[in-house]
Amino acid sequence: MSVTDGDAAAAGARADGPEDEAVVTVADVHKEYDLGGTVTALDGVSLALAEGSYTAVMGPSGSGKSTLLNLIGALDTPTAGEVIVDGENVADLPERERARLRGTEIGFVFQTFNLMPRLAAVENVALPLVFAEWSRRERRERAETLLSEVGLGDRLDHLPRELSGGQRQRVAIARALAADPEIILADEPTGNVDTDTGAEIMDLLAAARDRGNTILLVTHERRIADHADRIVHVTDGAIEEIEPVEAGE
Amino acid sequence: MKLRDSLRLAGRSLAGHRLRSALTVVGIVIGISTVVIFASFGTSVQTDVVGEFEDTAASEIIVTSGDVGFGDSSGGPPIPTDLLDGIPAVTDYDVEQLGGIDGVEAVIPSGPIDADAVTVGEETLARGVQVTAIPPAGFAEGDIITGEPFESGARGEIVLTETAVERFEANVTVGDTVTVDYADASPEEFTVVGVTGSVRGGFSSAFSPIFYVPIEPYYAEHGSTAPSASQGVDQRAFPQVTLVAPPDRVTDVQADVERYMTEDSDAIRVENVNDVTVQSTADIVDGIESVLADVIRLVSGIGLLALLVGAFGIANIMLVSVTERTKEIGIMKATGARNREVMGLFLGEAVLLGLAGAVVGIPLGLAVGYGAAVYAEVGFTVPIIWLVVAAGMGIATGVVAGLYPAWRAARVDPIDALRYE
Repeated sequence: MSVTDGDAAAAGARADGPEDEAVVTVADVHKEYDLGGTVTALDGVSLALAEGSYTAVMGPSGSGKSTLLNLIGALDTPTAGEVIVDGENVADLPERERARLRGTEIGFVFQTFNLMPRLAAVENVALPLVFAEWSRRERRERAETLLSEVGLGDRLDHLPRELSGGQRQRVAIARALAADPEIILADEPTGNVDTDTGAEIMDLLAAARDRGNTILLVTHERRIADHADRIVHVTDGAIEEIEPVEAGE
Repeated sequence: MKLRDSLRLAGRSLAGHRLRSALTVVGIVIGISTVVIFASFGTSVQTDVVGEFEDTAASEIIVTSGDVGFGDSSGGPPIPTDLLDGIPAVTDYDVEQLGGIDGVEAVIPSGPIDADAVTVGEETLARGVQVTAIPPAGFAEGDIITGEPFESGARGEIVLTETAVERFEANVTVGDTVTVDYADASPEEFTVVGVTGSVRGGFSSAFSPIFYVPIEPYYAEHGSTAPSASQGVDQRAFPQVTLVAPPDRVTDVQADVERYMTEDSDAIRVENVNDVTVQSTADIVDGIESVLADVIRLVSGIGLLALLVGAFGIANIMLVSVTERTKEIGIMKATGARNREVMGLFLGEAVLLGLAGAVVGIPLGLAVGYGAAVYAEVGFTVPIIWLVVAAGMGIATGVVAGLYPAWRAARVDPIDALRYE
């Protein structure tokens, strides 16, 4: 149960990133929840995500991997330590700035897709752009382009319930890419789709990475984690090991 | 987030629950339409009644012996109240003095004739019959609808109100014979010379069956007398005297009349007369307007209660909506929605519900109010101010009812929300 210190995290960033620049820096982060007693979800985690890197986080249920993702995604703030995203300490940002960060610098992909049930595919993809105050026409164009890229050019105006699980997850990926964010955070993105569809989803994430996105993937499946450049193993709220993945795997 | 996008998203959510939204709006519609119905019908009645008085009596001052200010409810029959409420105490001497006040253009004393019944052909009217003595000057220009007014001292001539005509099945008209049964003398036959819509100073004349006979000679024969303190003799005494003054001098003349009546008149010294009332047409119109305005406010208040019930409906449904859509709130927050944008969306929905209530409720209320005005045979007046109030109330209801649910929505923790099933 070793805890990587700041230097080690920085070293990890150097090992991965071609430009030696961390988009996300997690420094000695602790996160505790008060659930009728203090529960420690993260206990001194440090990690850096270099620009354009692809990192998988693996660990058993309750290991703290989702908490780590929520902190980096600016959905939550740490009890102690620092989460720096795009040069800004998330905990120091006012609520509206955290919302802006989520909307423009981060794209989420969830296990359960999390699409707005009453909005058509194209509107779901355009949702981050609504909050970023894009014009209606620009939003529509951007969303159509992205949906075509994920192979749903013929499903633009379908509601989520009219789409298969795999199609929904592709809509979610298109939405994550809509505002052209720096970072894609994927939480078990293949957890609710079959193996073949899962492979398509992973291809889409790989394509995003090839276009320069920084990707953090949370999974408990080794097969999925192997798509990343490195695998961060988390156990009991701490990083146990950072394992590089051999190229070509 | 742009306001238009906010409203569009809010509208989409409402459209997603059409039946629920419609039922919620019904509460607001009932409240707003109730307000508009009462306000429009009340305003119509007010305009109609006040207009009637303003037409007939622009610059009259009415002196009544006794405290009979407008709005004083004597509990008597609702019809002829003008003269019966006053005590016959304004003497001939007073009439003469009033006529001498600067600015007074005409003095019209009037008083009831002691009659029991009026007969036309086979039909006899006994109950509520009022035979009133007035001088020819009591008929203002345009009062007489058919025929003409009587001359002073014209024995056997009578003018009756339209309402009196309607009381008889036979179509009473000019030239017909009317028999008046006096209480203390043998009946006398009159010939109808005219039918009138109203008389000066006779506010209820437009709505009452009244028979007018010339004050000369009939009031001396069948009217009342009172002791004239100034002259030391009994004189003819009238319960009411109407004065006509130029419209721009009514206030001054009214003050002089009031001074004379309360300080120097015979009337104030007659036993049982505690007070005299001097009212201008404007006073009476003001009185009527204020009474009607009170009534409108009261009944419109009932509408506000209905609106309050509607507000709870909105608040309730919005709270349900926030709970149901917890996950959507999480998704919006994850995709960049700020707390106040989430709040704005839910508030927008509540306001749209309130606005929909106003959009449906106002025309509905106007339609029913119009129907009521037609039924009551009064001219319909659109109460513009109340329409603005109603629309404002619809929106305000939405805002007030939506605030707490929207605040709850904004406070939803995105992590919990995204996990919410």
